[in-house]
Amino acid sequence: MNWLAAQFGEGWSEYNAWELHWTSDVWGGTFAFLGVLIVLSLWFLWTSLARIRSPWKKTGLYALRAMTLLAVVAAILQPQLEFKKIQPLKNTLAVLLDDSKSMTIKTYPSEKSRSEGVRRALENNREYFERLKQTYEVDFFFASDKIEPVSMANAAAEYRAQAVNTNLHQVFLDVAQHYEGRSLQGILLFSDGADLTQEASGISPEFTETLTRLNGPVHTFQAGSNEGFKDLAIDKVDATDFGFIHQPLNISVSLSARSIGKKNIPLVLKEGDKILVSKIVSLKDDHLRYTADLQFTPTSLGKRIYTLSVPVFAGEAVEVNNRWSFEVKVIRDRVRVLHLNGRPSWDSRFLREVLANNPKVDLLSFFILRELADDVGASTSELSLIPFPSNLLISDYLNSFDLVIFHNFKFSPYIDKKNLANIKQYVEQGGAFLMIGGDLSFQSGGYDRTPVEDILPMRIGSGSREFLLGELQMGVQPKLAHHPVLRLENDPAQNAKAWKSLPPIQGANIGLTPVKGSHVLATIRKHKTDVPVLVTRRVKKGRTMAIATDSSWNWNFRRVGEGGSGRYYQKFWGNVIAWMTGEPETYPIQVETDKEKYREHEKVIIHFKVSRQDYNPVPGVEVDLVVKSLPQERERVRQTLTTDERGEGRFEFAPGREGFYSAQVSLTSGGEVLSGETRFIVFSPQVEFQKPLVNEALLKAVSKVTGGRYHFLEAGMKIENLPFPNPEVEIKSSSRMVSLWDSWWTYGLIVGFLTVEWWLRRKSGLS
Amino acid sequence: MRLNLFILTACLQAGILMPGSALALGDASKIAIPQIQYEGGNYQPRPHAVGSLLAQIAKRTSIEVNRKPLSLKPGDPRLYRYPFIYMGGRETFQPFSEKALKALRNHLTYGGFLLIDDNSSKPNSAFDASVRRLIRRLFPHIPLQRLPRDHSIFRSFYLINQVVGRVVNKPYLEGITTKGRTVLVYSANDLGGAWSKSKLGHWEYDIIGGGNRQRRLSLRLGVNIVLYALTLDYKKDMVHLPIILERLRRVNPR
Repeated sequence: MNWLAAQFGEGWSEYNAWELHWTSDVWGGTFAFLGVLIVLSLWFLWTSLARIRSPWKKTGLYALRAMTLLAVVAAILQPQLEFKKIQPLKNTLAVLLDDSKSMTIKTYPSEKSRSEGVRRALENNREYFERLKQTYEVDFFFASDKIEPVSMANAAAEYRAQAVNTNLHQVFLDVAQHYEGRSLQGILLFSDGADLTQEASGISPEFTETLTRLNGPVHTFQAGSNEGFKDLAIDKVDATDFGFIHQPLNISVSLSARSIGKKNIPLVLKEGDKILVSKIVSLKDDHLRYTADLQFTPTSLGKRIYTLSVPVFAGEAVEVNNRWSFEVKVIRDRVRVLHLNGRPSWDSRFLREVLANNPKVDLLSFFILRELADDVGASTSELSLIPFPSNLLISDYLNSFDLVIFHNFKFSPYIDKKNLANIKQYVEQGGAFLMIGGDLSFQSGGYDRTPVEDILPMRIGSGSREFLLGELQMGVQPKLAHHPVLRLENDPAQNAKAWKSLPPIQGANIGLTPVKGSHVLATIRKHKTDVPVLVTRRVKKGRTMAIATDSSWNWNFRRVGEGGSGRYYQKFWGNVIAWMTGEPETYPIQVETDKEKYREHEKVIIHFKVSRQDYNPVPGVEVDLVVKSLPQERERVRQTLTTDERGEGRFEFAPGREGFYSAQVSLTSGGEVLSGETRFIVFSPQVEFQKPLVNEALLKAVSKVTGGRYHFLEAGMKIENLPFPNPEVEIKSSSRMVSLWDSWWTYGLIVGFLTVEWWLRRKSGLS
Repeated sequence: MRLNLFILTACLQAGILMPGSALALGDASKIAIPQIQYEGGNYQPRPHAVGSLLAQIAKRTSIEVNRKPLSLKPGDPRLYRYPFIYMGGRETFQPFSEKALKALRNHLTYGGFLLIDDNSSKPNSAFDASVRRLIRRLFPHIPLQRLPRDHSIFRSFYLINQVVGRVVNKPYLEGITTKGRTVLVYSANDLGGAWSKSKLGHWEYDIIGGGNRQRRLSLRLGVNIVLYALTLDYKKDMVHLPIILERLRRVNPR
């Protein structure tokens, strides 16, 4: 070979093989045409040589013409000589290590997990794999529903059973793709066969087809066994993502019990340490799956985390599936509003319309249509009036309301003065109370020196004047322009313009002094004095507000008459309801994450915006951020962070493990602590434990289909004598092509043959 | 006891027990009912009707009223200070201008209420024809329909099962209802005639047919119409229904 290569110059000695190539560009019809042409040409030549007597001369001429034709054909077929360097190759074997979560399940009586068995097998058979490496390329992979390469040296050390899903069919598809064009001559599979996509009885036709396309055998090693398998599991919980506060919520729980025996077990639902509901589930010997329905009533708003649990029995293979935590976002179904009107008026009429038309509001309103002095001129049976159920509402059902409005309402004689303390208590415990002005409100309503005055944002004075009459233009306080109640437009300039565009109010209650800690949102300017009109206050857990006029309806109807619309009026009342009922968007500290659910090891971005009680952003202030894992409330991170010029901040957190977390940002200012919180989930699906049993039939089928062997992976097992084919495989590492037709040699031969033929023909007396 | 109550009421009305300048937050907070001053015909054949009705409302209910007579043209921007407006007449009147129609339509659509009262005492009067033409132009896509017996107007204060006026031309009320709210009510029975009292406290017009009972029912209907405009469907709230239905069952067992 080297000699042939040497004929083409220096540097050819590295090639150890050659191959002749012909062109593939010539059309098949061309070949047929050339064949016919050559045969005809040779026949014609033979007939033209009939006059030549000498057989030698005749043969010589004929040979020359044939050689010429051959040279022409060779030029047309464009022959090329390829010099190649060929090297022998090792065949490949793949070792697949099942790293799905089901491999954490223990086998009894050894109480070793399936993954522990695999790890020990790797360590015990290190020499075997080393020997195998001398003959084959041996690649290691972690396998679950995908393959992940790992070096042989690190395979045992890095092996962790934490993948969330097993799909062996997909694994073998990935292997086939990975080794496409390469010589894979066998696979060693270490697994429990607990494949979520395959039946316990065997193997699917699609999987079988994939296996048959593989070249070599698949030898399977079964990790763990079903002997003594005992498990009680919560397989599934069907619960909605959100629920309504104070409304029953149903959940459906699927359980499975293997070898637990005949027992009555408690299924307990908790929020934190508080048991919400429990149910006894009766287990039977011959029954595998159970369902239980539970009902509970959320009592707090926001993202709530609930945990279901069943007892863990001695010897259970899996303990983690005896608990199931889930999150429900508890929202208000509708805001329940109690609207008490001292008398029918246009102000109460337009407010009632707004409240009644708000789909988020469940309205209960009462109008005092008749007073003691009124002469209705009819018997009670001719009236539609009903007794005002004051004591029932103010005593028994007060806490069922989210907002109580006294709209120009004088409590006497409808509500006992002693029951006003219930309103104070209701607010302090988280309720909301709004007093709207008029001639029956504040002083005129007799609220001075009552428990209601204690919670109002304004102290009721004892001055002689109670009302300011006439058209009064109200102005919002620029310092409190960020307050949610005042947000008619998102843009601050547009918002200020919107407030200025509202018609004046007609009359206001005066003689009211804002209490410390209240926020005067809007005032009217009269006699060089600012008279408060819209005032808010936080009272312990609750909120109160005073609107010292009964003519806010002008912002609706009168504005329409001026060419505007009632949009700002409706927006204002929407804001009032949202702020008073403590909708999350009205919290001074807003905390949010970029997502609500994260996969394990995914980075969590926490963003927060800090405002004071007056909703003005707080730039450059230090806040405490605490991340806790729930429901144990274990502190995971505590950081002191500084807000930027917009009062905002950001923190990145790597929770790592699955679970529920809360991120709380708090600001301590003047002895007062403001805080905001959000919750998020880091999840890792537990579907692996829905089919926890070892699937021996599947592993046997896999090895049988591929001509491999099935083994049970015993402790201390030595792997030996596994048959793998080892055909010769070569690889071309370099090559060079030499053209044999487009050279002077080829054309020289054609011309030479023709010249000699011509000369001989002349000598023989032919033309 | 009755005397004490009278004194208390008198004191309250005089504002003696209440320091300050007024009982309510000025006249703006009191219920006033302007009359529509249209062109052509007498727009005020019952000049004391509205004041008399307001006096009855003040006497019978907790509502604070402003009885000062007020007349406004249909396109007057001051209409938007008075959500309840009254329109009476007994003759043909000139069609409203497009501008006035638009203003009135907006008024009613965005919260206003219009009571139209045929004071002619005649069925199918010239005023009736003018009113129907006006309503067709005002709400071309909404027909004027009879108000059903279970309409809130008939239970907003009194339980009413009979529609009357000074006369009984049509034993029903007609109305325009849009987006669940009745914005216009038309009575063909001269309600204003039944309500009207002179300054000396005498009824100004005789009742035709039913005597004092008919006048009493007319006054109750007037009170109910105003209460409806002020409280809307309040009496259809679930909290009221059981008692109202029980009383209605007693009054009319069928």
